[in-house]
Amino acid sequence: MRLTFDAADEAFRADLRAFLDEHCPPEARRGKDFVAADEEGVPDWARAWQATLFDHGWMVPSFPPELGGRNCTPLQTLLYLEELAAQGVVRSVHFGGYAIVGPSLLEFGNEAQRALAAPSIRGDIVWCVGMSEPDAGSDLANLSTRAVADGETFVVNGQKVWTSYAPFADKCFCYVRTGTDPEAPKHKGISVLIIDMDTPGIEVRPLRHITGAVEFAEVFFSDVVVPADRLVGELDNGWRITMGSLAHERGGLWVEGVAGSQRALDGLVALARRKGLDADPTVRRQLAAAYEKVASLRALGYKGFASFAQGSSAPEHSYMKLATSELRKELFDLGLDLLGPYGSVTAPELAEEGGRWWNGFFISLAATIGGGTSEIQRNTVATRVLGLPRG
Amino acid sequence: MDFTLTDEQQMVRDTARALLQKECPPALVRAHADDPAAAAPLWGHLREWVVLGDGPTTDLALFAEECGAVVAPGPYFATAALFLPVLRAAGLTEEADAVAAGEATGTVALAGADGRWCTDPVTADPVRTFVPEADGVDRVALVLPGPELLVVDRAQLDITPVATLDTSRRVATLPVPPGARGVSLPAEALAAAIERATVVLAAELVGTARWLVEASVAYGRERIQFDRPIGSFQAVQHQLVDMALDLERATAAVYYAAMALDAGDPDRHRAAAVAKAAAGTAARHAAKSGMQIHAGIGYTWEHDLHLYLRRAYASDDLLGDVTFHHDRLADLLLG
Ligand SMILES: Cc1cc2nc3c(=O)[nH]c(=O)nc-3n(C[C@H](O)[C@H](O)[C@H](O)COP(=O)(O)OP(=O)(O)OC[C@H]3O[C@@H](n4cnc5c(N)ncnc54)[C@H](O)[C@@H]3O)c2cc1C
Repeated sequence: MRLTFDAADEAFRADLRAFLDEHCPPEARRGKDFVAADEEGVPDWARAWQATLFDHGWMVPSFPPELGGRNCTPLQTLLYLEELAAQGVVRSVHFGGYAIVGPSLLEFGNEAQRALAAPSIRGDIVWCVGMSEPDAGSDLANLSTRAVADGETFVVNGQKVWTSYAPFADKCFCYVRTGTDPEAPKHKGISVLIIDMDTPGIEVRPLRHITGAVEFAEVFFSDVVVPADRLVGELDNGWRITMGSLAHERGGLWVEGVAGSQRALDGLVALARRKGLDADPTVRRQLAAAYEKVASLRALGYKGFASFAQGSSAPEHSYMKLATSELRKELFDLGLDLLGPYGSVTAPELAEEGGRWWNGFFISLAATIGGGTSEIQRNTVATRVLGLPRG
Repeated sequence: MDFTLTDEQQMVRDTARALLQKECPPALVRAHADDPAAAAPLWGHLREWVVLGDGPTTDLALFAEECGAVVAPGPYFATAALFLPVLRAAGLTEEADAVAAGEATGTVALAGADGRWCTDPVTADPVRTFVPEADGVDRVALVLPGPELLVVDRAQLDITPVATLDTSRRVATLPVPPGARGVSLPAEALAAAIERATVVLAAELVGTARWLVEASVAYGRERIQFDRPIGSFQAVQHQLVDMALDLERATAAVYYAAMALDAGDPDRHRAAAVAKAAAGTAARHAAKSGMQIHAGIGYTWEHDLHLYLRRAYASDDLLGDVTFHHDRLADLLLG
């Protein structure tokens, strides 16, 4: 066990800092809990910023230069994520392309599809990922959007829901049912298609978040014709692609969870001081208890990273999504508490810090739902990490 | 921050685990509750490891974790984690060398009437409370205002054992001899020694919590009700996951604090408070949920669970409980 990084890694961090100082636009320097409610689409600054990161090898630094990286080590990826998080810098306002689709295409795609990886990571192509359906949320394998193979094409009918970025995406990485054997297990017979969002027969009906933001949507498919060469991987074998997120970063994704909690905690401390609550014994203990959780979860992330960097899987990291998302909810809840009667005020001229606390609280409510609910996370840890029998 | 164990750290852990599993079975822990002399053979094996008290906090913490996992009784913690470092802090080299060589046992008396292990300032109360193993060790180091340190033979003090929930760790109260004076003890060195002992005790608590989680997971797999293992019920699974999560974060917090102390990192004071608070939280949580999951059988005197429940609560209280360390953290964060 040791506390410090060696010279090469410190040099890596220094290069990154210099790059950020020179290139990072002010709009990209904000915590995720600050996303404004009226934002629609990908703003110009975000497109330019993601392209700049890619062109300088700082978009996904573990990738080779032609994919927006610089072949860095896993530990350096961790330093990278940590530095971005510490400065509150966002890389992209749509993570589907660089975090899920690009890496999945590289792993499972044919040659033409692999060629889409670079522009996807650079953000030139904006993706949505169509998994959830009205009857397939946690139980994703229950999805029923059907694609019928018709020689040179697939014909797609069905509906997706809560599809992030669908209102402005160029393409959909879409999970469809292709299997025809009604006796087969539900997760067999699923395939992945790349569907252009301007194909006739697609209707996108934006849904507002509870924050008021427009980010996800319902997507309806009516006899949508998709060329057969848009099939990713093998027919009926799409289930394994569901796991294809950014393997290189998997050991570091917790960094954002911890950093988000740290930002919320720093905000709480500042808020308590401003409101003169920093001498209140109850508030002092609440803040200390929150600090204990943030600090211990950061240590846990690093502890898991030690095994991850050596190529073994890290059971510690299975806990991190659950723990950090639940913690952020607690922290913003406490923030609303500290504001007293003003906690529920949204009027812009009166809401504390531009509505940071109510907005952050609302956003924190999504984090324990999206990407697998907290209950599903606990089920997974129970069976995969603790080795308990399935229910 | 790299949590990978070095070969040497791995060896400390493996050796400690093998030794303690073998030499400290539950029967010995139970026998010690009736007669403290029953722990003497265990001390015979542990005395050669007191020297870890002179080395890096990480190594001593790894060793202590294994002590906590078998709720080891006897003077090891008091001698290696408290007495030896405090002797060093006071520059009492000759006696410290003998203790490090396993030749004598000892403990530290610091908390006053309120039971709090506060080093700044050291209490002027005429009494010392919660002195670990005071009625069994050879020597007692009394921390006096100044601070000063007076080291005396146990027989010179009027020691009253105090029964607590925990029969695996003895504590006692003793009066400070009137007019007692000792050698000068640099305040910073004293504070550092106590902070270090706090992290080592947190490591012990992590070991205790680990046993509770592992025993409960194992019971979840084997106990059958409604024709199925109870560990297949989601209400049981989710309790186990939440216990395990608190254990995992406490373990990481303790190792981090040990590294921070060894490196003299500016974050070490906060890290130590986080470690003890997280370990106390994890152990208490694991004890309560572990009892719920074991249910009837766990509530019996014969089952070992209550040995761990007792140790968890009493060790949380010793050297500052969760609330004490939250208050300390608040002072460090908010001034
Ligand atoms: C902001 C946001 C963005 C999203 N973006 C996308 C996206 O881009 N693409 C996409 O495909 N989807 C997206 N989703 C959908 C998300 O993946 C689903 O909401 C999530 O998987 C849960 O499904 P559900 O809402 O149908 O809830 P359900 O599965 O119906 O669950 C309802 C409740 O029952 C519990 N529950 C269900 N099954 C179990 C079980 N086995 N054990 C215990 N409890 C259980 C759940 O934990 C939950 O509390 C997004 C959601 C949100 C909130």
